[in-house]
This record gives sequence, structure tokens and C-alpha cells, in this order.
Amino acid sequence: MTYLTTTWNIALHSLRENYKHRFFGLFVIFAGILIYVSLLAGVMAVDEEARVLTDLGLALMELITLAYALLAAAAAITNEIKTKTIYLIFSRPVPRPAYLAGKAAGLYAASALMLGVMGLIHLSLLYSRGFTMPPFYLKAVFFIWCKLLMIISVALFVSFFATSTVSTVAITGIFWTLGHFTSEAKFLVARSSGAAAAALKAVAYFIPNFQLFNVRDLGAGAPAAASPGFLAGYLLLWMVVPYLFSLLLFRKKEF
Amino acid sequence: MMKRYAYSLLPAVLAAALAMAGPWSFISYTRPFPPADMLNEVRQSAVEDVMALSLGLRRLAADLWFIRLMQYYGTPEVERLKEENGEVELEENYGGGEYPEFLHISQHILALDPRFTNAALYSAASLAFNLSRSQEAISLLRGAMIYHPKEWKYVALLAAIGYSKAKDPAKVSELITPLIMEPDCPVMIRQLAAFLNFKAGHYRAAYEIYKTILETTKDPVYIDKAQREIAKLEKIKGF
Repeated sequence: MTYLTTTWNIALHSLRENYKHRFFGLFVIFAGILIYVSLLAGVMAVDEEARVLTDLGLALMELITLAYALLAAAAAITNEIKTKTIYLIFSRPVPRPAYLAGKAAGLYAASALMLGVMGLIHLSLLYSRGFTMPPFYLKAVFFIWCKLLMIISVALFVSFFATSTVSTVAITGIFWTLGHFTSEAKFLVARSSGAAAAALKAVAYFIPNFQLFNVRDLGAGAPAAASPGFLAGYLLLWMVVPYLFSLLLFRKKEF
Repeated sequence: MMKRYAYSLLPAVLAAALAMAGPWSFISYTRPFPPADMLNEVRQSAVEDVMALSLGLRRLAADLWFIRLMQYYGTPEVERLKEENGEVELEENYGGGEYPEFLHISQHILALDPRFTNAALYSAASLAFNLSRSQEAISLLRGAMIYHPKEWKYVALLAAIGYSKAKDPAKVSELITPLIMEPDCPVMIRQLAAFLNFKAGHYRAAYEIYKTILETTKDPVYIDKAQREIAKLEKIKGF
């Protein structure tokens, strides 16, 4: 119970820390401006305005939340180590797993909050143009968040061995792009043979498959990429495994 | 002691689970998009295409290419220049012309997002009925049907193209009527249906379709044309 309470308190603190951070507000304002600027593209699309506004808005929401989440995850623990705030925390009976879980949960919640605020801005734009919410909208936003949960977990893990915030962002950014290449990777694997195919497969197997969650790119009519049970299990694994490896590295650090 | 083992054993077990889930997810994943070799470069689009694929933004890239296609097709190819009443006036062949890049851009859009039905319909109808390139329109629709085989709108348009080749406008108009009943039907097809109905002598139907165009599109070119046709029909037929 104490463990869960500690995790909850740290998560709440982490969430508060995130939304009070000036970058959080700046990112949301920037996203809001960009979403409204996308009106221009919508007007150019004439009768496909609703589709263009939806796609552009969802893409902006995803990329801006991703940028914020990666920066926040990369700095979440390393900054506390640098500023020595972490000594204060561990001077109390705070278990390290609870601390790490709380930090991760705070980041998950902050990204959900950011997506939610931007989603409202986006929907207000769609309604102001006389369109209704597209049928796949909520599902697309939820799956964007699922992808963010995975990448935040990976970023937290990478931040333990990367030399700087920039390198953490760069490494996780590479994960993000490779994770969207599954469709093309399958094509390449089918076309290659021998060592090249084996190497490609190895890379493809150990990169999170973000395409499974890329509902935003499939639209309303496309069939689901996998069963809900598999998606939930896959998501959970990609959240828990990086967390446990982060914990292994975190335990070795002395405070 | 137990705790120490748990710390190293649990990550190992879960990592093994992840190692099994990875291949499973990769192997069982069915590509919802055309293979990479279908994505041919158009107007030096390679960098943009890679960006779209690597960020999972195929749909948005298709949207942007569709805007470019409309801009390309919406820029009239000047047929001839003539002087009338001392003014220089450009006479355009409405919707016609060469537009050599039209098919490549359309194919590019569908290679990025094979479920962009309206782009396929718009492109195929323009190719078949405005640019007189029926074979290209048919090949485009057949390509689109690989990823959307149950799309009845493609079948209807294919049939209409077939009848247009047989010079049977009444049958073409009959075949595309269900298409224009769809709320998101491309305005170009509505315009075509109105024109064919007019040609076939179905003035009331043509009049109704032009009115629908006025209600559904934001495209000023089609609005202007529909207004002129409505005025003409009201004058001739007294609707």
C-alpha cells in the first residue's frame, strides 16, 4: 500500500512539475497555432477540407507531444541527479521502483494531458468549420497515446546510459522512425537473403512495432492490425520491459 | 536474496516474452499499404516520401499530394490566345489538356494511401472523361481495387468508363447516379453526371444535380458553372 501511495504521490508531483513547466505551455500554444494555421491547407483542399484538417491536426498533435515527451523523459531523472534533488527524495523511505514508476506515470499522464488539450483545440477548429468529429478520431488519439507510452518508457531507459539529453532524444527518435518502417521492413526482408535478411529481421524484431498502433494513418475503413488482446499485451511489454531494465541500471547508481 | 534474484530474473523473463512478441508481431503483421517499390518518385519526392513513411504519415502525405494534383489540374493549359474587342483573352479547354504528370501523381497518391477513395474517383474520372485517357483511368482503378476490392464506387466508375468508350452517355449517367448520391462524392463526378444527364435530355435530373453541387461544394469554379447551368435551365425549361 505504501509502495502504491509513494508511486501515486511521485506521479502526481511529476505531472504537476510537467504542466507547470514553461515548455509544456509553449508546446501547447505552438501546437494550437499550428493547428489553426492548418486551416490554410484545408482551404486548399477544397472539398477534402475535413480530411486534410483531421489528418494534419492529428499529425501535429502526435509530433508535438512526441517532441515534448522525449525531452521531458530524457531529462526527468538525469536533471534530478544533476541538481541533486534526488538526494532529498532518497533521504526519505522512497523505494527506487516506486520512484521510477511514479516518474514514468507522471510522464504518461502529462502526455495524455497535452494530447487532450490539443485534441480539444483541434476539435474546436473542426466544429468551427462545420465538420463533426471523424468516426475514428478518439481511437486514433488513444492509439497515439499508446505509441507515446512505449516511446516514453524507451526514452527513460535510454536516459540512464546516454551521455546527454540530446543523445537520448536522438536514440529514441531513431526507434520512433524505425518502428514506423515495419511495412517497408517486411518488403525488404522478403527481397533480401542470407546475412542481410537475418540482420534486417533481428532489427525489425527488437524495435517496437508502432505501425500496429498507427490508426491515424489507416483511417476509418482499414481492418485492425492485430487483435485488441495482442495489442494490449504488446503495449504492456514495451512499457514494463524498459522499466525493469531502467530499474536494473538505476539500482547501480549510488546516491 | 529473493529480491535480488527477482530484480534480474523478472526483466530477463519479460525480455524473453518481448523477444517472442517481436517476431510474432512482425510476421503476423499484414501490410495495409502497397510495397515500397510501388511508390515511384514524382517531382523529386524521395526525401518527402521517406519522411512520410518514417513518421507514419502516409495519409497526410497523400492529402498533400492530392492538393498538388488539384492545383496542377486546376491550372489551365492554355489552348490558344485570341484577341477579341481589343482585349487579350485566354480561351481554355475546360478540364481538357495534356497534363502529362496527372497519372503519375494520382498513382503516387494511391501508393501512399490506397484507401483514399475520393482521390481515386477524382483521378480516374478526370482521366477517363476529361482527358480522354480511359486506359490509364482503368489501370488506376484496378490498382486501387487491390487494396479496396469491395469498393462498389470503383466498380460503378469502371462500368461507366466502359460505356463512355462505347459512346453511350445515357448508360454512363445511369451508372454513376448511385455515386452522386453519396454525400462525399467528388464534385467532378457530380458535374459529369449533370452534364451527361443534360446531354441525354434528362433536364430535370441535370437541374437537381447542379443544385446539389451548389449545396455541397466549396469549389468556386464548380459553383460558378452550376449557377450558370441552373440559370440556363430555368430560362429554357422554366424550372
